[in-house]
Amino acid sequence: MATTTESTAAAGAKPFDIVATYNELLRSDPDLTMPIAAIEALVLLLTHEPSSTISETLDLLEKSTAHLKKSIPNPIGLSAGTDLFQRYLITTLQRPGQLGPAGDFKAIRTHLLSNGRLFIRRAKESREKIVAFGRGFIRDGCTVLTNGGSRAVASLLQKAADEEGGPSAVRFRVIYVLSPISKNIEEPSGEPEGMETVRALRAKGVPVSTIPESAVAYSLGKADMVIVGAEGVVENGGIVSRMGTYQIGLLAKAIGKPFYCVAESHKFVRLYPLGQYDLPIEQHVLDFKSEEDIAEQSKQPADISGDRPVELPLCDSVDFTPPHLISALITDSGVLTPSAVSEELIKIWF
Amino acid sequence: MRQSPVPRNYFRNSSPNSTAGEGRLQQIPKQRQAKQQSGKSAIQTGDEDEKLRSVGKRTKNQRQKIGFFAHFGSPTSTSHCCADKDSTTSSHMPSTSPALTPGLSSFLKSLKANPIDTSIENLISLLKRRQICHSRSCATATAYLLRSVVSLCRTSESVRLIERVQSVGRRLVAAQPREMVVGNIVRRVLGLIRDEAEDDREAEFALSESESQPQTPRAFDDASLPLDRDSPLLGSERSSRPPLTSMFSLLSHPEPENSLPSTPGSQSPNGHLNGPSKDLRAEVLEGINEIIDELGQVDEQISNYALEHIHSNEIILTHTSSTTVQKFLLRAATKRKFTVIHAESYPNNHEVTHATVSGNRSSDDENLSFESFQKPLIALGITVILIPDSAVFALMSRVNKVILGTHSVLANGGLIAAAGTRVIARAAKVHQTPVVVVSGVYKLSPVYPFDFDSLIEYGDASKVLPYEDGDLVEKIDVQNPLYDYVPAELVDLYITNLGGHAPSYLYRIVSDHYRKEDISF
Repeated sequence: MATTTESTAAAGAKPFDIVATYNELLRSDPDLTMPIAAIEALVLLLTHEPSSTISETLDLLEKSTAHLKKSIPNPIGLSAGTDLFQRYLITTLQRPGQLGPAGDFKAIRTHLLSNGRLFIRRAKESREKIVAFGRGFIRDGCTVLTNGGSRAVASLLQKAADEEGGPSAVRFRVIYVLSPISKNIEEPSGEPEGMETVRALRAKGVPVSTIPESAVAYSLGKADMVIVGAEGVVENGGIVSRMGTYQIGLLAKAIGKPFYCVAESHKFVRLYPLGQYDLPIEQHVLDFKSEEDIAEQSKQPADISGDRPVELPLCDSVDFTPPHLISALITDSGVLTPSAVSEELIKIWF
Repeated sequence: MRQSPVPRNYFRNSSPNSTAGEGRLQQIPKQRQAKQQSGKSAIQTGDEDEKLRSVGKRTKNQRQKIGFFAHFGSPTSTSHCCADKDSTTSSHMPSTSPALTPGLSSFLKSLKANPIDTSIENLISLLKRRQICHSRSCATATAYLLRSVVSLCRTSESVRLIERVQSVGRRLVAAQPREMVVGNIVRRVLGLIRDEAEDDREAEFALSESESQPQTPRAFDDASLPLDRDSPLLGSERSSRPPLTSMFSLLSHPEPENSLPSTPGSQSPNGHLNGPSKDLRAEVLEGINEIIDELGQVDEQISNYALEHIHSNEIILTHTSSTTVQKFLLRAATKRKFTVIHAESYPNNHEVTHATVSGNRSSDDENLSFESFQKPLIALGITVILIPDSAVFALMSRVNKVILGTHSVLANGGLIAAAGTRVIARAAKVHQTPVVVVSGVYKLSPVYPFDFDSLIEYGDASKVLPYEDGDLVEKIDVQNPLYDYVPAELVDLYITNLGGHAPSYLYRIVSDHYRKEDISF
């Protein structure tokens, strides 16, 4: 670490802040997913911190990843990216080939550093691949129920809508479940997440009905399928997604409607949650209070300092949808059953 | 009108000179205690035959009365060939009366004599007219046709060969899109060609690289090469290669990725490819021969797992006259005593089912294939109870295991099987009875069932309501769906020639057998 501090001092700039970089990347490009932003942040980190040996690089990556995970309230999505990056580095180094051990470590480093843009482009292209695989699911005359602000779902629906009037026109309807909690913290009364997609779909001539979360059970009878996005896809094939997805999954199962999840394969994360309360996230959705507690809390100002893990704001809270509720995962590597996820993960880890 | 088969069968059961089905079922505990001597089972077969004969008599009488079971038990070959065409899952009677009807055997005979384009047209029309229909017949015909196509395709480039096979494959699939095995075989042949082409390219690449560079960049793939050659059908190593980098592909080096697809074009002019490409066609033909061999052996291979799944004194329920299931049960019957309840699968497959149960199949059709010489289960001392489809739910509580054949299996673990299968699978679910599906891997299709309805084929409505009842036919809408879609959650186990798999594991076998680029060829 001494060398890195020296080098940063030599550069004269302020030390590289991976958390700020990550947040900045996410803010600057609304199309960027969390894992990709994490990979980008790590690439930028490597450009800022020159390291010449393999173990130095791995050590640096590990430290920064741990720091990043600790500072971000919901590290599930980004850990998929950091894991992928780390595993790629290790596997490439172990594999015989021009980038392998006999080869030059610098070669792989330059490859990673010079291709940051390429990774982002590929990640966005993977969404197009998903659309290609998922196109078959949206059929003439069907009604799709969806929720949240998943970009993959939005691009899938919009692509299907684009073909309206074309040779393979699809006439479909969308039931959009809108959460009353606004995503935008600065503007709490602002429009709910997903309104942008709703507008885009309506502009393309797709009839969209927006419903509150409480109307899902009522509306599911009119829907033919449920398509949701995911923040992370865990090892057993379950998904971590925005709050409310689990209940839609349960309802869809109860009513017997297929429940599809759209996710890029770089969102697969090595995590095995046993239930809702087993996620590595600090979120206080359930907050039991008596009159006394409220009075006490109002007296004490919230103490922000300390080593407590960062809490996830209520509007960003997530839940876990277990694999038995999911009919299929539409990913850029094809339409997978939930059990296929573990295999993809095993392939990169072992 | 649809209800009439039920009273017919009840009538049969209560008829004095036949052993009633229900009565027999009640005997089962007794039989268990008695441990069934072989002499006793001979007697049983006797009265089983008598029972079936009496059934035939009864129904003939009924036919005269109602004019409903027009085809039932009629000895004319035309009605049998008709039954062949429309019977659903089973692949046991390839419609082979060479002189009279065009079918698999006549097609295979003509394949050598006719020019290839005539043969392609011939198969297309056979598929369109449903003169070749069972899964295995279609698969065999496709494999033989593609073998001729490949052997007659005078090209030295794998790209051309792939194009040729693709164009033939597209026409065949368009001729009968619901016969998914046709597409499966085409995909496997395409995969074979691609593999061989890649192996050649890799060998070449490794050669040229080893001259210039000390390490070969694809040493890992080369190591797996002999494995591929040994078992191209198992696909053990083959297609685990492309997905190996699927998650890493995001970060991978851009150069090798771009160079791979461009190599065929860039390398062909230098003449180096001509050497191995002759080899390529021979390798592909060898691979197709192995597919054909596999189609011949698949039932045997599946039946090897029978003893692991059928135990003594179990009551097994099955449906349709699927040969795969019959061979599976027969294999178990060589070592164990158990009871089979056979749902007759009215109206599309009941005649064949009856014949299968009674074992007088060979005399019915002029089909001298191996299957026709097969002994029926009753000859091995197995109690077989023939029931109407409507009685499945009532008897399910006594059944230990449901063993089903299928028409095709889909990538999500669901299956397209003879109409009535879903009812049976659902009834089994209600009673928590395990459902086992036996199917050759060739029936496994990479198609994802986006729209179940489009996969269901409708057959001859006159089997439900014959046209003799003209006045009724005009007034009502008669439908005869041949297939059911059975969702994956109703199936507990698949047994293929590769072993037993959970439905959720089928995606893996799909990715082992078909290459991603060929899924929608």
